[in-house]
Amino acid sequence: MSIADATLIPAAKRVWLTPARTTGLILLGLLALFALLGPLLVTADPTEQDFAASLAPPGSDYWLGADHYGRSMLARLAYGARLSFGMALLTVATAAVPGILLGLLAAWRGGLLERALELFSTVLLALPGLLLVLILLAFAPGTFGPLYLGLALTLWIEFYRVTRVTAAGVLKQPHVEATRLLGFGTGYILRSLVLPEIRPILITLAAFAMSTAIIAISTLSAISVGLRPPTPELGAMIVELLPYYAEAPLHVLMPGLLIFLLVLGLQLATRSDIR
Amino acid sequence: MNAPVRFQSLTVAGLEIRASGTTIVRDVALKISQGRPVTLLGASGSGKSLVAHAIMGSLPTGLSARGEIKLDDADLLAASPAQTRARWGRTIAILPQEPWLALDPTMRIAGQVGEVHEYLHGLGSAEAGTSMRSDLAEVGLGDRTQAYPHELSGGMCQRAAIAVTHAAGASLLIADEPTKGLDAALRDGVVDRLRREVEQGRLLLTITHDIEVAAALGGLIGVMQDGALVEFGPAAEVLERPRHDYARTLIAADPARWTAPALPPAGEAVASARGLAKRFGERTLFDGLDISVRRGEIVAIVGPSGCGKTTIGNILLGLVRADRGEVQRAPDIAQIRFQKLYQDPPAAFAPHQTLRQGLGDLLKLHGLPWSQAEASMGRFGLGQELLDRRPNEVSGGELQRFAILRALLLDPVFLFADEATSRLDPISQKQVFAILIEAVRERGLGLLMVTHEVALAEKVASRILRLPN
Repeated sequence: MSIADATLIPAAKRVWLTPARTTGLILLGLLALFALLGPLLVTADPTEQDFAASLAPPGSDYWLGADHYGRSMLARLAYGARLSFGMALLTVATAAVPGILLGLLAAWRGGLLERALELFSTVLLALPGLLLVLILLAFAPGTFGPLYLGLALTLWIEFYRVTRVTAAGVLKQPHVEATRLLGFGTGYILRSLVLPEIRPILITLAAFAMSTAIIAISTLSAISVGLRPPTPELGAMIVELLPYYAEAPLHVLMPGLLIFLLVLGLQLATRSDIR
Repeated sequence: MNAPVRFQSLTVAGLEIRASGTTIVRDVALKISQGRPVTLLGASGSGKSLVAHAIMGSLPTGLSARGEIKLDDADLLAASPAQTRARWGRTIAILPQEPWLALDPTMRIAGQVGEVHEYLHGLGSAEAGTSMRSDLAEVGLGDRTQAYPHELSGGMCQRAAIAVTHAAGASLLIADEPTKGLDAALRDGVVDRLRREVEQGRLLLTITHDIEVAAALGGLIGVMQDGALVEFGPAAEVLERPRHDYARTLIAADPARWTAPALPPAGEAVASARGLAKRFGERTLFDGLDISVRRGEIVAIVGPSGCGKTTIGNILLGLVRADRGEVQRAPDIAQIRFQKLYQDPPAAFAPHQTLRQGLGDLLKLHGLPWSQAEASMGRFGLGQELLDRRPNEVSGGELQRFAILRALLLDPVFLFADEATSRLDPISQKQVFAILIEAVRERGLGLLMVTHEVALAEKVASRILRLPN
């Protein structure tokens, strides 16, 4: 219930940097450093094979051990992290920008345009996401382009729908009418009134989309339709190492742990404190 | 009907409410007894709602109450959270403001009253049904038991909420602004219901800024200012001979006691319409309506809720299209010189922007200097410190004056005030109208005001357009 005397109550300072958010940001920072600097600092070639070191445990020769072909796990993890995380970021950016713009457009203009966009997004939504990616991958198997395009094509719909619904709600409010009467144009209203109100939802949505993209890329690699070996990709690494689980369980867990830490970091950093 | 334990009195003594080191409400002492309801008057932000929440035991987190609140012999402040919760609905019930927001929108009102009998009092479903029907019949909703809240008018929703609290059988009833947003006829109906609750032996605490409600309820009246109870006594005495300065100002600010403004003769028409017609679905709001607003005059549209008053103003502003009829606005005058004031001041401001940001953007857009805005702020009694607050951190009266300032910066020729003061306390209402009347007199502004307060319209308007239901 709202309290009519709200103006009497001193406004509590909103703490932006909550402990959860700090943990998440630190985690993301460390992962970013690993993915960006790792490939530069680790001199070992992620594809160089050394059968003498097959499935070597973590030690002085290989810090995190070596896989069944004797390739350095550290080097492969660093390159894999850069590839997976970079690809996810690119995919989400490609999905979010048109999704948000089209959502704003539909909410603002309404009418036939909105209905056409709704129909288009509903049709796309009816197709299972992975199926769409598989269809596109059939044209050029094992390459990055179709994989990225297919994922972006399934992910933009969420951004579009959430933006459209929330923006339409904001646009109906009296303060938007008041702002228009005061002479402000469409650009100002969308930029200064609508966007700040939908931003928190979109940031949370982007974090979820990142997780979805990383897991989708890894899953596709895991069923051997994503990127081809010997490209170091986290999902593919798990699949390749799975047969050796009995001898080297730690090796299988390492790429999975990286994915887990990234998703955890994203969720913690973007967790909304609105209760 | 079950016969709950009736309490004889509620005593509040030396009540103090603190928030992180500062005392925001202090020295509140009052006594409600059977047949002697208490009404708290005061501006929003005077602390009267906090007193109600302290009694209810539902203060927001971060606030703590000290002092003594006793229901007969039970000390409410000493109660554990579980005990407090057990009291809600059974012993103490709150009648929410704006009940159309408090009722469950997905449930018929029959169910909402019936569930109180069924789950709170443990009656069987047949018995609960009978009690429910008698409760609703008593508030005059006997034929609408199957309606959803959105199918009822504001006044009917308020009566349904009264039936719910009545069903609970709580002996202490707290009514928080029970007549907010209701027109005169509906308001009298609600006041009547509340008086009947008092006659049935309930203790009643009403919070309002409407002096007429306080007068009609009788009993005792308390006046609050800045978190302190500055006046407390029998209704007739407080209303006739208030002792405290603030109480005197508050009671004198009742529109019925205003003096009519002297306005120079009106100029040419700025906005007019002929033969307007508008329907919403099956309902015809009006047909063949003529209206004109000239420079330097105040035109009032008066009528009950839902009769289409606001729509007329919006048609003149060009925000809504009429189904039929002609709208004429003074030629060669820019669109931005037609402005509007809203009923709920915070709703007219972007919630996340500080007032400084919003005002700054407006000045920049129209190439106006800050000094002009600052001069107006000084004249309207708005402190510079308000600029760094967000709309929900400013009182309704201040925010409405800020909205007028914003509109007047654009030198309007036509201003549509849509129930602009219906949510404000009498003093804020008087201040807002003083500013508006000055603008009408000095700038030749044409003011169109929509209101359900006939007394207010009769005092200030040059011409009144009465709409039938």
